[in-house]
Formats: sequence, structure tokens, C-alpha cells
Amino acid sequence: MMISDIESDLKSKFPDSLLNVVSEDRRISLLVKKEELHQILSQLKDIGFNHFSDVTAVDYIADKEFELIYHLWSHREKIRAIVKVRIPREAPTVKSVFDLWTGAQIHEREDHELFGINFEGNPNLSPLFLEDWEEIPPFRKDFDTRKYVKEKYYSGEEGYPVAKG
Amino acid sequence: MDIEEKEIAFLTVPFGPQHPASGHFHALMKVDGETVLELEPHPGYLHRGFEKLMEYRIHPQNCVLADRLDILDPFPCELGYVNAVEKIAGLEVPKRGRYIRIIMTELGRILSHITWIGVLSMVLGFDSANKIAWGDREKIIRLNEMATGGRIYPCYLCVGGARRDISQEFVDETSKALDYLEGQLSFYDYFVFKNETFVMRMEKVGRMTAEEAIDLGATGPNLRACGVDYDVRKDEPYEVYPEVEFNVITREEGDAYARSLCRRGEIAESISIVRQLLNNLPDGAFRIELSPVWAAPEGECYFCLEAARGEKCFHMVSDGSPFPYRVKVRPPSLSHSLVQFPYLVKGNTIADVPAIYWSLDPGPADVDR
Repeated sequence: MMISDIESDLKSKFPDSLLNVVSEDRRISLLVKKEELHQILSQLKDIGFNHFSDVTAVDYIADKEFELIYHLWSHREKIRAIVKVRIPREAPTVKSVFDLWTGAQIHEREDHELFGINFEGNPNLSPLFLEDWEEIPPFRKDFDTRKYVKEKYYSGEEGYPVAKG
Repeated sequence: MDIEEKEIAFLTVPFGPQHPASGHFHALMKVDGETVLELEPHPGYLHRGFEKLMEYRIHPQNCVLADRLDILDPFPCELGYVNAVEKIAGLEVPKRGRYIRIIMTELGRILSHITWIGVLSMVLGFDSANKIAWGDREKIIRLNEMATGGRIYPCYLCVGGARRDISQEFVDETSKALDYLEGQLSFYDYFVFKNETFVMRMEKVGRMTAEEAIDLGATGPNLRACGVDYDVRKDEPYEVYPEVEFNVITREEGDAYARSLCRRGEIAESISIVRQLLNNLPDGAFRIELSPVWAAPEGECYFCLEAARGEKCFHMVSDGSPFPYRVKVRPPSLSHSLVQFPYLVKGNTIADVPAIYWSLDPGPADVDR
């Protein structure tokens, strides 16, 4: 299946949800609407994208949106698919793709912890790396790592930090 | 005495986080006698939040941070970072710079795989092989030191090329080291890979089919041991890989022994790649001079490469400032150690747990970042 075939296949099945399609050599990038995200990913899996590489979140705080970027790879066709979706920052919820790729679970769990994105249907979204974390998710743009470290771990005069404890 | 029917209580046994056995990685095993029923991984001992820290730093500083993403295999992390920036900016690195980068990356792959032979042998109770492997590892570490000044953390690659040029002395020393390591490979064959005890511990242990491996997100030697020939160096070629000849090593069995043989085969391929590159090393510039506070233009890039442990990808968003807006690393070990490892140990004995864990070759630093 060529990239142009994938493009026309998706365009005929999801005429309203595909906002933008960019085809390169061995790569296809899609910007889709949140409503039909799961169906589009499911369709991509059906046409051979069997390796779930990653899901990345980017915090576009000025637009009040998160962008989720799904990276898929087809072992048969040797093509990479990049699916982007924008979700509102206030209610960051999408449907989990755990039912399509078992390996996606851990990537979603990581994004849940570090960005606070809710993946509906993921069986385990418990904390992964952080211990007893009570602040806002730390990879969001409105979380200031330097300020947090200064307040939490150092005391003393400005410029002469003394480690606490 | 009447025997009362009691609810069976299963014992919970920790695996790790002592450094020599599991790296900085902890897991809780629920066991029934000798059999592992369930394993729950607890990563996070090495979580330093590099992806966030990189948002506060300029590109030359981030190359230093990128090293620490995977301690035993630092070159692919640097290579991925600088390539992502160069893709966004559309920079053309001089040919000599590209050759130097891949020479160092492939030496890094050999380094990582030899270290892995040592650690795997150690957890199997085969300490002689461990000591010999760590001795051989030193050969490559000395080459690292000679070219970069750093033994473990090279901080060598920079946006636009490499930080320093390599000398003729380095080329000669590398050829010598490669000849020595090639001889050592046949010794490892006899001493480790054909060793009866080693084969008995590894064969038919931790087996997965190609479908399972793909579903669980396996990449690198772990996937190739199941018969899938996915290698980013061939499938999405980057840097100078189109110019070198090498084979993708695959096996069909999918067990711990097949994974070991895949890695062993990759050492030989990497030796051949480095030799080809050293023989055709072009003259000329090895980097583009850029100001330290040089800013990449606005843009976004997803760059994948084949690290020693598998597919490593960098997703970078640049907003036109000297700092990256967002960097995301897709570490190969995340799915190896947190998804495949718990899946594979189910139903195996406790003694097989370290063997399965190290046959997957996960790096705890790579998992946590």
C-alpha cells in the first residue's frame, strides 16, 4: 500500500475529521479532530500500522491546548504515520488506544503523570516515576522547575543556596 | 489434627533496586513457591526530568544533558538530539563530521553490547566472563577518551558536527582495538555463547512470538530475535548509513538465547561498519561553526535512530528561541523493562527472572530519563 493509497483511504472514510494531511517519502502526517481519533487510529492499525512507537504531549499554553502526537510504524510497508490531535487544556481527555496496542498503555501512563492527560479506558494510570507528587503535573508549561527546586530544596540568601536537611 | 482450608497467601519478593543485579530498577514479584505469578515494575529511581530541564537550556548545554539519557549508550542520545535540531534548521553537516559521528556511535554500540555480555554473565553467576567483558569494554572507553576527552560521558557531538576532529593516531588505535575485539568475539563464542550452562539457562526462556513482540512495542535486538527485520538504520536511513554495507541480524526463535545471539552478531556488524568508515574517511571540515546562543528556527521534527537497545526517537518543537520548546525522547527500554519484562516472567521460576531481565538489555536510566 502506497502513501497515496493510505491518504485516499482515510479521506474517503473520515471526510470531516481530517484537518490536514502531509505526505513525505515514507511518512504521512495527519492532523485530526478529537471526536474520531480512536476510529482513525483503529483504521490505521487495520491497514498495517502494527507498531505503536510513542505518544507525545506538547503543552501549547498560549492556545490553551495540548497537542497529542501519536507515532505509528508499519512493519510491512515500512511507513511511519504521525497523527496529531489538539485537545482543550481545561479538560484533557481522550480515549485510550490500549485496546489496539498493548504497548501503548505505558506511554499513556507516562503522559498522564507528567501532563495530567486523562486516557479513558486505560487500566492503570497510577504514578510511574514520581513519588508523593502533590503539585500540578510537572511537565506542563505553567510549572516552573527552577522555582520549585529553589523553594523545596534550598534556603538561605539569594545566590548562596544552602541545601536543606 | 484437622487440616483447615485456608486462603493461600502468596509471598511478595522484591527484585532490585540494588545496582549490580537490576540497575536502578525495582519490581515486586508475587510468587507461588518458585513460580512467579505476577511482576509489578516500579521505575523512577533515575527520573531526572531531562525533557523538562532541556526546555531551560540552550542547545550546547542540552547535548551534555542528552548524554545522561542512557549512561551505557550515550552517543545515540547526542546524535538524536543534534539531528533533530539540524532537521528543524535544515543544516547540512560536512561529510567528515557525519563519518566521525557514525564511527563513534557504532563504537558505542559495541561498548554497550560488550557491557551487556558482562552484566548478563554476572547475573547468571558466571563471573569470569563478566570480568573479561569489562576488561574489553575498557578498550573502547580508552578510544572514547582519546577522541572526546570523556570516558563514559563523551559530550562530543554538537549541532553542526562534532566538537573535535579525530586524529590519525585515533584511527590507528581504533583499527588495533577492532582487530583485538574481533578476536575476542570467537573467544566469547567458545566461552559464553556456546557454553553449555549458558545455553541451558537461556534457551527456551522468556520466549515471545513476533506478533506478541510487536504488540508489546519491542524494538531493536529484542524484536529482531523474533524474526522481524526492523532496523531504523536500514528502514529510515540517516547520516551515512546508506553508504555502508551491513546486515540486519535476525533470529527466528524469540527466546533469551536468540536475543543474545542477535547482539553478538551486531557486534561483528558494527566492527565491519567502523572499518568501512575509517577506510573511506573524507578530508575537510568536520563541523559548521555556530554561535553558542544560535537559535533554531520555528519548526517541529521527529527523528528516529537505532540505538544499541532499539528504536530511539526524538520529538522536538522549536519556537524560534535558543531553547527548545519541547523535547520528547522515546526510549527503547521503556517498553522492554516495563511491558515485556513483566509479561515474559509470568510462569517462570525466580531464578530465570534476572536472565530474562538482562536478555532484554534494558537501561534503567533510559527508562526513567
